[in-house]
Amino acid sequence: MGLTFGLMAAGLIVIYAIGPQRANFMNSLYGTDFSSNYFFLHQLVAVVVAVAAFAAGYVLPYATYRKYAKIMMLGAIILNAFLGLLAAMHGWQSWGIVKCELGACRWLNLGPLGFQPAEALKLALIFYLPSLVMKHKKEGTLGKKEFFIPYVIVMGLSLLFSVVLQKDMGTGVVIGAIGIAILWMSGIEWWKFVGVLLLVLVGGILMIISSPHRMERLMTYSGEGDSDASYHIDNAMLAIGTGGMFGVGIGNSVQATGYLPESINDSVFAVMGETFGFVGLMVVLAAFMLLLFSLIKTAENVEQEYALVVTGVMAWIGAHVVVNVAAMVGLIPLTGITLPLLSYGGTSMMFSAFALGLAMQISRLTGRETEPIERRQTWKEVSKRRMERSRA
Amino acid sequence: MQKRVWLFRAGFILAMLLIAGRLFRIQILQHDSWIAKAEEMHIVQSKIPATRGEIYMLENDEPVAVVLNQSSWTVVIDPQTANPEKTEKIVGELVKEQMVAKWSDIFANRNLRYYVAARNVTRDVAKKIREEELTGVYLIEGNSRVYPEGETGSTMLGFVNAEGEGQYGIEGALNEELAGKDGLLKTVTDVNNVALSIGDDNVRVPAEDGKNIVLTVDRGLERKIENGIRDYLKEKSATHASALVMDPRTGRVLAMATVPTYDATNYARVEDGSVYVNPVTEVAYEPASICKTFAFAAAIEEGKMTPETTYYNPGYFTIDSQKIENAYKGQLGEITMQTALNYSLNTGSMTALMLLGGSTQEITAKARETLYNYYYERFGLGKYTGIELYESPGTLVGPHDEVYGLNAFYANMTFGQNLQLSMIQVAAAFSSVVNGGNYYRPTIVAGEVTKDGEFVRSEQEGPVRRTISEETSATMRRMLYGTRNSRRLYGIDKTGYYIGGKTGTAQTIIDGAYSFDETVASYIGYGGTEGELPEYVIMVKIWEKGQKIEGEKDAMPLFDKLSNLTIDYLKIRPKGV
Repeated sequence: MGLTFGLMAAGLIVIYAIGPQRANFMNSLYGTDFSSNYFFLHQLVAVVVAVAAFAAGYVLPYATYRKYAKIMMLGAIILNAFLGLLAAMHGWQSWGIVKCELGACRWLNLGPLGFQPAEALKLALIFYLPSLVMKHKKEGTLGKKEFFIPYVIVMGLSLLFSVVLQKDMGTGVVIGAIGIAILWMSGIEWWKFVGVLLLVLVGGILMIISSPHRMERLMTYSGEGDSDASYHIDNAMLAIGTGGMFGVGIGNSVQATGYLPESINDSVFAVMGETFGFVGLMVVLAAFMLLLFSLIKTAENVEQEYALVVTGVMAWIGAHVVVNVAAMVGLIPLTGITLPLLSYGGTSMMFSAFALGLAMQISRLTGRETEPIERRQTWKEVSKRRMERSRA
Repeated sequence: MQKRVWLFRAGFILAMLLIAGRLFRIQILQHDSWIAKAEEMHIVQSKIPATRGEIYMLENDEPVAVVLNQSSWTVVIDPQTANPEKTEKIVGELVKEQMVAKWSDIFANRNLRYYVAARNVTRDVAKKIREEELTGVYLIEGNSRVYPEGETGSTMLGFVNAEGEGQYGIEGALNEELAGKDGLLKTVTDVNNVALSIGDDNVRVPAEDGKNIVLTVDRGLERKIENGIRDYLKEKSATHASALVMDPRTGRVLAMATVPTYDATNYARVEDGSVYVNPVTEVAYEPASICKTFAFAAAIEEGKMTPETTYYNPGYFTIDSQKIENAYKGQLGEITMQTALNYSLNTGSMTALMLLGGSTQEITAKARETLYNYYYERFGLGKYTGIELYESPGTLVGPHDEVYGLNAFYANMTFGQNLQLSMIQVAAAFSSVVNGGNYYRPTIVAGEVTKDGEFVRSEQEGPVRRTISEETSATMRRMLYGTRNSRRLYGIDKTGYYIGGKTGTAQTIIDGAYSFDETVASYIGYGGTEGELPEYVIMVKIWEKGQKIEGEKDAMPLFDKLSNLTIDYLKIRPKGV
């Protein structure tokens, strides 16, 4: 818990430091009128919301989610289908509540808050996949076609929405990671697991080849492209490189003044590298490692269904961290996903915090719950009992 | 217990090791090269342009601007986005004179993004173009030179080219002073080149504006002299003439005029680039018999002769087996040196040279050495005078140079041939001959006008050296007076003034050989109130391709005219008034 809040606080500091430059840059480039505290205040609100989300994830008993896992999965799929439908009807242009950027329609505009339906997909998978695994394990059909049919349909649809319709390879990787990690932990035979893995890899390669946009990013990575993506990575590495051992100090990032795209969201790691240097980045990475290892430890020690949920959370956060950071240092192609808890932006932080809250709740169950999961109480039952008790 | 979590632990550790290694490489090992790259990208060095100094002439001893700055605009077209028909119609209509490119050329390559279509566009026209809001048409503000005096003095003043560099004349020679020093702004900027306060390497060196230079040239006299030449040339077949008016008491140039002039605003439109060259300082030529003045002055100063010294004039001398004749065929027999000067007899000046060596028959080494000493060391002929303009040093053969017929060379040098001198050298030397023997460095800069508009005068330099004694100088004035008046009948000049001078006619050297059909004519003279030291020295030169222009017939009347103009303009009073 301390780690989670610590990372969020670090993100807040960085946004505080570079927010004024960002506002300045946006104002001069687009003639907008952001105040210098705009980004910091927004991030502050996002952090408050995220803390609330963490609390919610921690407090609401897992059994409640378990009960509605299927419905949530269905809802998430419908929501994403709805987004795709609306976008397709309008030629992949922003329209109404649909927000598109460069032909990628990933956002629903709900009042002041932009919302990415793909985040709902990730969350729903964390509840749905464990329940699917447990059901088939109980019925003895795990690893058989009765299990694989719904698994492939759900994963296929999720990847279709994220990668093909929303053109978001980064989210696709995260969804894939969640699905694969849970599958591994389900305990199926290893050769079946390897088979699925190969299938996903082939599918991924086909998707890359089929899209010129992704092809370009790959070319950029291999040093042959010359495009916005290459500009992005060059400037990210420049920011990190100029940071040196101890960084240039808070508020002295030059790369954040417009050279580095997405300086406060996807590229925040690079700006932190410039600001805090190698030492600072090591601290940040160590914090993430501690967070991930505590999730792994939880997964190791709880009952399998809990373990699967925590594995999902761990895969989610871990994939975000690895894919984001590796791209920033030029190890893998750029995909455009956030660094959990640190990047500017409400949706991502809120969902990550909620997932971590849930994992926290599960970790506290370790070794203390003896009842079978099926008989444990949902939130409704708990509150009902509490009310009865208070009446009495 | 879930055993399979080992894979996640292994996976994350591997990923983190890779990332940490990569970070170590980027941040620690490659740190310096990234810093260098960042500086290249972040630091913008921009020039703070210095304002070019203005040029003033004097009028009633007060500075009057003759070269000013004004804002002007350059029209730049982006051929890729501009509409060819619309742009040509609207911009072409507004900008006519100032176009520097053809419309067909501008739109010949539509891949270009930048084409300078017009320069020196005025404020009004720039405003009209801006109001049209044309796509792909940009206006860049800059400075251009304005010449309120029109073409007056153009050859002396020079011009400023499109790159802002002074060329020729004062603009060229004093470019460094006029241009000033551009300032430097070195700063870390954001991606839009807006300066940031980040970093401690920011540098700001303010521009040092150029000096406003005040010339010694009198604006009114300059105009009068130039117009005088122009009027005079109307009656003549020649089209080229230069005149230099100096104050022999100070070395200051009062007027330096050359016709034809050119329009410095549209300097590129001249048909013949030779008009840029200032014949007064940059062209060395043979001033011919004018140099007899210097040979005679040397012989008198050395005590070897007086104006009354006689010699036998056979009409020619044979030196180094070359027959050197007089141009004037009369006055044979025993004559005085004054007569020799009056009729510009070459035998007279050759005799003066022989006398310098203590002989009357031959040119000795001592004669050559003495003449060279006077010409080069004392009169400063054949070397830079130090005036604040581009100069030609000219050429003068040394007394022991290994040339074929050295004595013939020296014989020729006494009447101004076989040497190359600029007008400014001759006028500065002549000034010392008539002013009492003091050589002043010729100068054209009187001082500067400060930013507050105050005229700060340069200190008047004293004489550089003595060339001849006061007595010799007085004798030379009398001789030159006699020469002028013997040839022009007494009374041609207004009474009460004392004016003397000497003609010179030289064959033009074309491709290294003397031409028989082309001559260049010069006249130099001094003038002032009778009984007082001269107040002005005027030298004129007239030339024209393929024509025989003569000193007495062509150059002297121009001097007469300019001399009278000068007396009137400078309000020099006649004797007794």
